[in-house]
Amino acid sequence: MVELRAVRHRYAGRLVLDLEQFTVPRTGALAVVGHNGSGKSTLLRLLALLEAPTEGQVLFDGRVVPRRAPAALRRRVTLVEQRPVLFRGTVRENLEYGLQLRGLASTAVNGIIGDVVERLGLQPLLDRRRQELSDGEVQRVAVARALALRPDVLLLDEPASSADRAAAGALYRALAAERASRPLAVCIASHQLEDAYRWADDIRALAEGRLSPVTPENLFRVDLPAGEGVKSVHIGDIDIAVMTDRAGPAVLAVPPTDIFVSKAPLASSARNVLAGRVTGLAIEHRGAGVQVRANVGGVELVATVTSEAARDLAIGPGSAVVFSFKAHAVRVF
Amino acid sequence: MDFLAEGFRRAWALLVTGDAEVYGIALLTLRVAVVATVVACATGLPLGYFLATRRFWGRRAALTVVNTALAFPTVVVGLLLYGMLSRRGPLGGLDWLYTWQAIVVGDVLLALPIAAALSAAAIQGVDPRIRRTAETLGAGPWRTAWTVAREARFALAAVITAAFGQVVAEIGAAMIVGGNIRGSTRTLTTAVALFTSQGDFGMALALGFILLAMALVVNVALQVLQGRGSG
Repeated sequence: MVELRAVRHRYAGRLVLDLEQFTVPRTGALAVVGHNGSGKSTLLRLLALLEAPTEGQVLFDGRVVPRRAPAALRRRVTLVEQRPVLFRGTVRENLEYGLQLRGLASTAVNGIIGDVVERLGLQPLLDRRRQELSDGEVQRVAVARALALRPDVLLLDEPASSADRAAAGALYRALAAERASRPLAVCIASHQLEDAYRWADDIRALAEGRLSPVTPENLFRVDLPAGEGVKSVHIGDIDIAVMTDRAGPAVLAVPPTDIFVSKAPLASSARNVLAGRVTGLAIEHRGAGVQVRANVGGVELVATVTSEAARDLAIGPGSAVVFSFKAHAVRVF
Repeated sequence: MDFLAEGFRRAWALLVTGDAEVYGIALLTLRVAVVATVVACATGLPLGYFLATRRFWGRRAALTVVNTALAFPTVVVGLLLYGMLSRRGPLGGLDWLYTWQAIVVGDVLLALPIAAALSAAAIQGVDPRIRRTAETLGAGPWRTAWTVAREARFALAAVITAAFGQVVAEIGAAMIVGGNIRGSTRTLTTAVALFTSQGDFGMALALGFILLAMALVVNVALQVLQGRGSG
């Protein structure tokens, strides 16, 4: 739907984004994770066609977008900023803003507003002004204001950062309902991995303006059995020991830095000892470490080791390798 | 002190009896000031918005020029305009020298930098998210500008007040290109200067009061408008 090609973006000469290729698929739910300052917000502003990249192209529906994107094109993408602002006036006037720009009759406007207000529980706020709202309420109004416009692409920058758990839940339910009712591409930037893992079909990690292959690796959607303590979960041809009291659908994440890499099984307390073959080695950005990618029982796992450790191990593609990690290392979302 | 008291008495008498010359001068001043303020703000505010929001080559230089022009002496503007409008000047064909239109042109030249520079500062003070939000909700350039301007309405009202204040109070350009001709280009400021030099303190004071009253009315009107628009 929206695509960046060979994009480099600079602010005052400083490179803040460097992406060879980035696509928001037509009906996907994509999460972009990364720390503050990793370039997430800049990325969303480019995808929202609000800024043109210093170098490279933005494509919408396969067509190159001119540097000053026409309003007609911008109306198909809506961005909700990390700390959104409301215009002066009431919540209702804010919700009406974009709908009136689209020339909708007042009955249609009222119908649409009634609908989003109900979905996001904003009824009591309709006649309030921005200074009478909490940060979390402003965020909800901003999401409602964007949803009301029925864009093809919805970009949300940390949409639940000021919301309490209940409000965040309502927000994600509203998004899910919207996605179920019509084709909608959603891209959410978040530094909360939990959010991302729970909601997205696909996760990209951003670090210092570049796509980082580390974070979203080793993720598995599983169905956790009931019970307490250590559980065994079947993934591909392997079983992974997990320490959790949760049951039902969940996402498991094994942080690549928590995996020990060895050539033979280690005598250790690790509950998970998986033998396989190396499929690839990659040096991480800035040479901080080496990623060892291995196929263990039909499952692809990535471990990160220091470059010294990688040299000492003397492994290469095809080498036999053993990945070990504790049941406690497996994170459950 | 007697002549001061006498001056106040005479000023009061001129104001309450509705002296035709006094009110003629006041009306001309008001007309010149309103026309000049409208023209200066109609061009200066969009220029200020443009300077504040667009990134283009030479923007910094343009801002410096506009800011420097804020301090342009009124007599120098009058002098340059005199050269342009005099019979042998490039705009001599207009035959505007010593007309109220000439004063308007001079006043516009003086108020335009105020309107542009101060509105640029006012717009730069608006949260940049407002503009992005308007754009992402689908506003075109005009609607975006209007939305941003609404957020800066207090500062922009102050810009208009400042432009009006400059125009209504300036004397240099009005004297040089207007000529202070009785019944045709005599404004409040040029008249105050003239009557003071002639020793007619009461008349000068009466006109000074009207000038102050005008400034007061305009400011009160703007404050009322701001009060209505708050929130």
